[in-house]
Amino acid sequence: MSGAIAVAPPVRSHSAHRLASVLAALAASIFLLFLFAPILRLIISGGAGGVGRIFSDSELRGSLALTAATATTATMIGVVGGTPIAYLLARRDFRGRAVVAALIDLPLLIPHPVAGIALLLVLGRESAVGSALLQAGFRIAGSPAGIVCAMLFVSAPLYVSAAREAFARVDPRYEAVGRTLGDPAWRVFRRVTLPLSLRGLIAAGVVMWARAVSEFGAIVILTYNPKVVSVLSYDRFTSFGLREALPVAAALTILALIPLTALRALRPNGGAGAAL
Amino acid sequence: MERRRGRGLARHSTRASYSLMNARQLLELLAIATLLTACGGTHGESSDRIVVFNAGSLSIPIRAALDSFAAREHVTFAQENAGSLETARKLTELGQIPDVIALADYEVFPHYLMPEQVEWYLDFARNRMVLAYTPKSRFADEISTANWWQIVQREGVQVGRSDPNLDPNGYRTLLTMQLAEKHYGVAGLYDSLLAHAPSRNVRPKEVDLVGLVQAGEMDYIWSYESLATAAGLKFVELPTAIDLSSPADSASYATVSVRVRGKTPTDSVTFRGQPIVYALSIPKGAPHPDVAARFVAYMVKGNGARIMRATGLDMLDPPIVVGSGVPAVVATAAGGGPAGPNGAPR
Repeated sequence: MSGAIAVAPPVRSHSAHRLASVLAALAASIFLLFLFAPILRLIISGGAGGVGRIFSDSELRGSLALTAATATTATMIGVVGGTPIAYLLARRDFRGRAVVAALIDLPLLIPHPVAGIALLLVLGRESAVGSALLQAGFRIAGSPAGIVCAMLFVSAPLYVSAAREAFARVDPRYEAVGRTLGDPAWRVFRRVTLPLSLRGLIAAGVVMWARAVSEFGAIVILTYNPKVVSVLSYDRFTSFGLREALPVAAALTILALIPLTALRALRPNGGAGAAL
Repeated sequence: MERRRGRGLARHSTRASYSLMNARQLLELLAIATLLTACGGTHGESSDRIVVFNAGSLSIPIRAALDSFAAREHVTFAQENAGSLETARKLTELGQIPDVIALADYEVFPHYLMPEQVEWYLDFARNRMVLAYTPKSRFADEISTANWWQIVQREGVQVGRSDPNLDPNGYRTLLTMQLAEKHYGVAGLYDSLLAHAPSRNVRPKEVDLVGLVQAGEMDYIWSYESLATAAGLKFVELPTAIDLSSPADSASYATVSVRVRGKTPTDSVTFRGQPIVYALSIPKGAPHPDVAARFVAYMVKGNGARIMRATGLDMLDPPIVVGSGVPAVVATAAGGGPAGPNGAPR
């Protein structure tokens, strides 16, 4: 910024910066409005009814509980399975790293109903995995396990790429210091890398969880009953129209705000620092 | 704020004389300009495009008719496939008005859409309930019209059906199961058939089940003959006494009924058995009523009807008009078929 002032005549530069700030503010306001107006409208239209329904509508309660349980399970699996991959992608230079990185993003590209069908082909009862699981009494399609699979597939890539960024932001010199002090790699990770990247990892988990909660397309292919909230709101809209669908959607939005806000407010690094 | 925005855009128009514009500002303005152009562009484009909302089970026949009509009339079209009730909701709740609306159950018109959204409807096709399957389905080489109800109760056979609360095919499945209990004279058959198509095998509408039977997740799915044919599935033909296809059997169909959810969660609606009749209409306020009327005429008479028949849809000849205010070109094509009592096409 100071460079630009030094080069350009001061007055014109000043007005150019002012114009840029005005435009940036304008763009930001329109953008925020675009993001929040629909949600605000949803909460205004259905909020009171939605809160009431949480107490009066047992199907909605069951559906909210199912959504929370499956999205949390999917996120936990995503964290356990995705963290090592994210770390490797951020820290190790191995053959095929670019390929793995690209493959991880692939599920984000696939339209969700197609993702549901693809999962069915791999985990359905005609597949090797699916039939073996079924033998063991474990059903994927038509069960909460199917919901978890669908959520995991569509949301895990978001966790891996955000976690990878979180690891990449940790200065490797701190890890090097840890190693020169004789700590084994695992302890360096646990005592240096993990604490320094924890906020980013939590943020990554929050994004994954939120994406899992909102999933509809892949879930409805695998498991329509029992219904998660996204499926229930579709069902209510089709059966009864907007008047009944809005409270369901609003209840989900309001309840989802609680864990999202709580996790965003967590400051394991003790305050300032990178935005969570 | 408004004033500033006006100034910013004005500067944009005289951009050439504004030498200090940097790359970032330029990008911002380009983004705004692109958005504005995009909005304008879509609007202009849609003016000669006919929009058809249709029941999922009609997607293939109507698509075939639209393709040939569009080539003949040099128009473009957009087709939206959804469940019949969902489609009705798009008009009543979302205020989306298509040029043509075609549904899998004519009763949706009087129950949900008349008189606010439509004034008339045209019964144009019949269908029948079938049990669709693939050569890979368990016991595919054994199943027949005579033994289907025993096969679907066998251990390990997965039977799918659509949601009775959302989809006419869903409650028709339940009606067919009840008729089967009477027809075969087996006490408890309805409960048993239902238990062999449990809620985990339910999907919102019958089209959603096609992929599942093709992927082998289901062995048999309750469906329509037209859909099974169009999707290339094999199907078990059921006795006329239970497949809801025959207007002559109306009285015996009407002896069974199911209760499904009504217009509110505390409300319920009873559907009695009756022949499956598809109906269509041109809603009030349709953007292109003239093209829409020509398309409807094309669908029910001549080439269009032949094309739809070729996809497996059992077209009514002649179709039956219910209500008033039918466009002349449609009335002519329909040949002035008489309206049944209470709008029922009997």
